Amino acid sequence: MTQVYFEDVSMGDEIGPLVKTPTREQLDTFMGVWGGGVPSRFTSDDVARSEGFTGVILPGHMSMALLAQLLTSWKGAQGKLKSMDVNFRRYLQPGDTLTCKGVITDTATVDRENLVTLDIYIENQKGERAQQGTAVVILPSK
Amino acid sequence: MADTEVDVTDTIDFDRSVLGVEVEVGSHEVTADEIIAYATALGETNPLHVDEAAAKAGPYGALIAPPLFYNVLRVGAGPDPKVNFGTTGFDAGQHVEFVEPIKAGETIHAKAKVHNVYAKTGRTGTMVFAVRRTTFSNQNGELKVVLDRINVRRDIRQ
Repeated sequence: MTQVYFEDVSMGDEIGPLVKTPTREQLDTFMGVWGGGVPSRFTSDDVARSEGFTGVILPGHMSMALLAQLLTSWKGAQGKLKSMDVNFRRYLQPGDTLTCKGVITDTATVDRENLVTLDIYIENQKGERAQQGTAVVILPSK
Repeated sequence: MADTEVDVTDTIDFDRSVLGVEVEVGSHEVTADEIIAYATALGETNPLHVDEAAAKAGPYGALIAPPLFYNVLRVGAGPDPKVNFGTTGFDAGQHVEFVEPIKAGETIHAKAKVHNVYAKTGRTGTMVFAVRRTTFSNQNGELKVVLDRINVRRDIRQ
């Protein structure tokens, strides 16, 4: 993984995209870890349909974890993900194409930490924003 | 978006006695297998998350969990504000501060409280927001994650 440095980034820079198409199998693996065993909108098409969906949906925090992955794969080993603030706007389902992107909106050094603030979002295959929010990443100096 | 929203929190029926009351909601011993399965489900390839031998030789000395792993820890949700409003509830989002990565072999203890409940009426009707704050620490009391999880209730018949 190449390291990105604070001096190399500026407002308006884009990161990504990280494009993912979560499969039903990946959702099942994810839910196997989360567990609980109770049939839900995330594990049962019948339950999901009874709640008005066309089939199982992805947990909001599973999609948000892909936004986190966009950030962790960009920041490099010496960078640190400090915070995320994400709104869930639309549900996503296995087979949807999730395009995760970020754009740098601010850079500032506060208390010797090089803070990079980004707008982050996930678009589905129709170009609709399913999740959006902000994140703060700490980058090393050269 | 910001058009004429009115704060209607005072009109909403919920249990105000739980506001700010923090309780322990359980603990979870994190295994390498769980971290690897979680990371695999996300298509993660970073060896720090999927290769235990490589991760042990790395900067953390252990397999570390991807940042959002706290969501799958089997701990309780904490006090319920019992918001008596609307026909449906859904996760509206999360605000999270990452302090230190969660490592395989750690036991994570969680505490939770109802941080805030507020209601707004706007163009699309009334929405009631309940913000629950959970803090995750390891067995040595080292803080890992501070999470605000936002749940919205609304009346879809409006």
